[in-house]
Amino acid sequence: MPVPVIMPKFSMTQEEGRVMAWLAAEGDVVEKGDPIMEVETDKVTMEVEAPESGVLRGVAVQEGDVAPVTAVIAHIVLPGETWSPKSVKATPVARRVAAVAGIDVGDVPAAGKVRRQDVEAYLDKVRATPAARRLARAQGVDLTAVNGSGPRGRVQAKDVVSPVVVSPVVEEKVAKPVSTMRRTIAERLTQSYQTIPHVTFTVAADMTAVTELRQRLNAREDAEKVSVTAVLVKVCAWALGRHPLVNASWQEDGIHEHTQVNVGVAVALEEGLIVPVVHNAAQLGLGAIAAQMQAVTARARNGRLQPADVQGGTFTISNLGMWGVEQFTAVINPPQSAILAVGRTSKQPVVVETAVGDELVIRPMMKMTLSVDHRIIDGAVAARFLQDVVTALEQPDTLLW
Amino acid sequence: MREQVLEKASGEPLQAANRELTYSHAIREALQLAMRRDERVFMLGEDIGVYGGAFGVSDGLIEEFGAERVRDTPISEAVIAGAAIGAAVTGMRPVAEIQFMDFITLSMEQLVLQGAKMRFMFGGKASVPMVLRTPAGSGTGAAAQHSESLEAWFVHVPGLKVVMPSTPYDAKGLLLAAIEDDNPVIFVEHKLLYRTKGHVPEGYYTVPLSQSEVKREGRDVTVVATSIMVPRALEAADLLAQEGIELEVVDPRTLKPYDADTVTRSVCKTGRVLIVHEAPKTAGFGAEVAAEIVAGEAFDYLDAPIRRLAGLDVPIPYNRELERTAVPQVADIVREARALARGEY
Repeated sequence: MPVPVIMPKFSMTQEEGRVMAWLAAEGDVVEKGDPIMEVETDKVTMEVEAPESGVLRGVAVQEGDVAPVTAVIAHIVLPGETWSPKSVKATPVARRVAAVAGIDVGDVPAAGKVRRQDVEAYLDKVRATPAARRLARAQGVDLTAVNGSGPRGRVQAKDVVSPVVVSPVVEEKVAKPVSTMRRTIAERLTQSYQTIPHVTFTVAADMTAVTELRQRLNAREDAEKVSVTAVLVKVCAWALGRHPLVNASWQEDGIHEHTQVNVGVAVALEEGLIVPVVHNAAQLGLGAIAAQMQAVTARARNGRLQPADVQGGTFTISNLGMWGVEQFTAVINPPQSAILAVGRTSKQPVVVETAVGDELVIRPMMKMTLSVDHRIIDGAVAARFLQDVVTALEQPDTLLW
Repeated sequence: MREQVLEKASGEPLQAANRELTYSHAIREALQLAMRRDERVFMLGEDIGVYGGAFGVSDGLIEEFGAERVRDTPISEAVIAGAAIGAAVTGMRPVAEIQFMDFITLSMEQLVLQGAKMRFMFGGKASVPMVLRTPAGSGTGAAAQHSESLEAWFVHVPGLKVVMPSTPYDAKGLLLAAIEDDNPVIFVEHKLLYRTKGHVPEGYYTVPLSQSEVKREGRDVTVVATSIMVPRALEAADLLAQEGIELEVVDPRTLKPYDADTVTRSVCKTGRVLIVHEAPKTAGFGAEVAAEIVAGEAFDYLDAPIRRLAGLDVPIPYNRELERTAVPQVADIVREARALARGEY
């Protein structure tokens, strides 16, 4: 019997995976242990090895397509065996439609049993009336996403005028396919925003000292370049150590205060974003933090993140200052209890008190907005945490304390 | 307006809208008016004189116009067609009658090989201004050899025009237009329509050849019907209106040259078409109607497959029930149009 190749499950919560690339093609001879494909989960890209030695046959998922975990996506035909597409599971209607169209039902990609819709999708055929097609053209409607109300699902004009999108299989094909990452982001953010009572607190910090500090440190030839974000990781890690409730999780059995301070940093990718985690950030120097962030960010941009790179975060920083954003609010990344949204540093008129009275000066100011889980964090707790962050930014030697 | 009133006969005023005539009377009146108006017009056919025609259409005409202009002929359809064509070429305007359309098979050589081609073969120097009237269709228990609908044959022949009126009004106006026309015109009447009544104005008027007419307006399904199927479609429309389904009934009236634009406009409105004729479906005129819809502007407006309802591909049976079953009835049109309207095709 040919050995099935299934979509592997890399983590407990993973429900589907996307085949990013086939490293072996239909008909290739593969050795057991050879990497045969790359699979992207919501977090990482992993290579999948051949379960046996033989010939790769019946590749049922194309590059870029998603399959549920444990779905059979190909077979390894062992030496001496013959590959018969008849072993493909298909509904009788799917077989008939495929036979009429003169195609092998085994060539039809499907998650599990091949259904009529899969065959029609493979044929790129949609049953639709000319009038429905005309309206779809005019309105830019993708007919494959429209559920036809006519006989055998034929799309009629009225379906395009008020499209009824019902089947999730069909929905997935709406103009732009949704990546695993985008789907995960959507689910997490919706869950977070709907279940966590968010409150936000905005402060401004005078960045004169941080600017001078970075100039001094970055002038050293042997050192990693230290970014504002790296300084923020260090500062927040220090402040989180002083305010355990901001470094906590709301769970059904109570509030969990984390023993480690692991600071995640949101990194924008083409597909969306990912949050590499700097573990035990409080124990690391600025140089180590900067180096670790650069390495993880590079892996994230290449899709080579390891699970550990993105897991275990207890607090998140999202810095959009480099894009010129003045200030913004961020949605908490559960199960964390807070996220810091950082705006740009810009020169502002500031009133300072001197021995001779108030004086108007120009200072590089940076606004930060902390979103907190109000179930855990009261306003005063958030305020004191932010006070410490501002103090550490304005007087970095506080960190030595 | 859908018709042109060209001329009033001898100054008589057109009568009130309630003047009703039968289809056969309307045809007789057209013949009468044409022969009074133009002495080149004469009739020839089997038993059309003293007997008044097999269906009584020419009843009384021999008394008014005499045996010279209402000529009984031998039982030879080839002679009737050939003599009419010959007379037309000499400048007469004959109206020939073939007693049953089935026997037009005997006239085919004269009509197709001679009459249809002369104008072209003589470079326009000859013309063939004749009309050949003939009753077609089943429903009289006359069986396979007296019940055929052979209009599609003639539609296929360049040089012939084919007219198929469905109402007394159209029968009179179209026959006068056919007699005025300088080409051979096959004028197909329906036996079951002869006794149907409808409004017919007095006096001379023509209905232009090649002008389809919307017999009833509706938003849901276009029914393209010819001849006897027009009143059946209208009856079906009345029944379906009670269910809230509005049929638009289009009557081509002239099958060649065929005015496809009227059907196109209707299909663009309704998106659904049912084509109904009595002649057998295969290669029937409905195929041409369907082809014009699909090939033209209306294609992008079709919201269901085109449906054709036509005679079965069998000779018309003698048995009454089988005869009814062989051609579309009102209930068939209701069933098909309802399915189309509900998007069940």
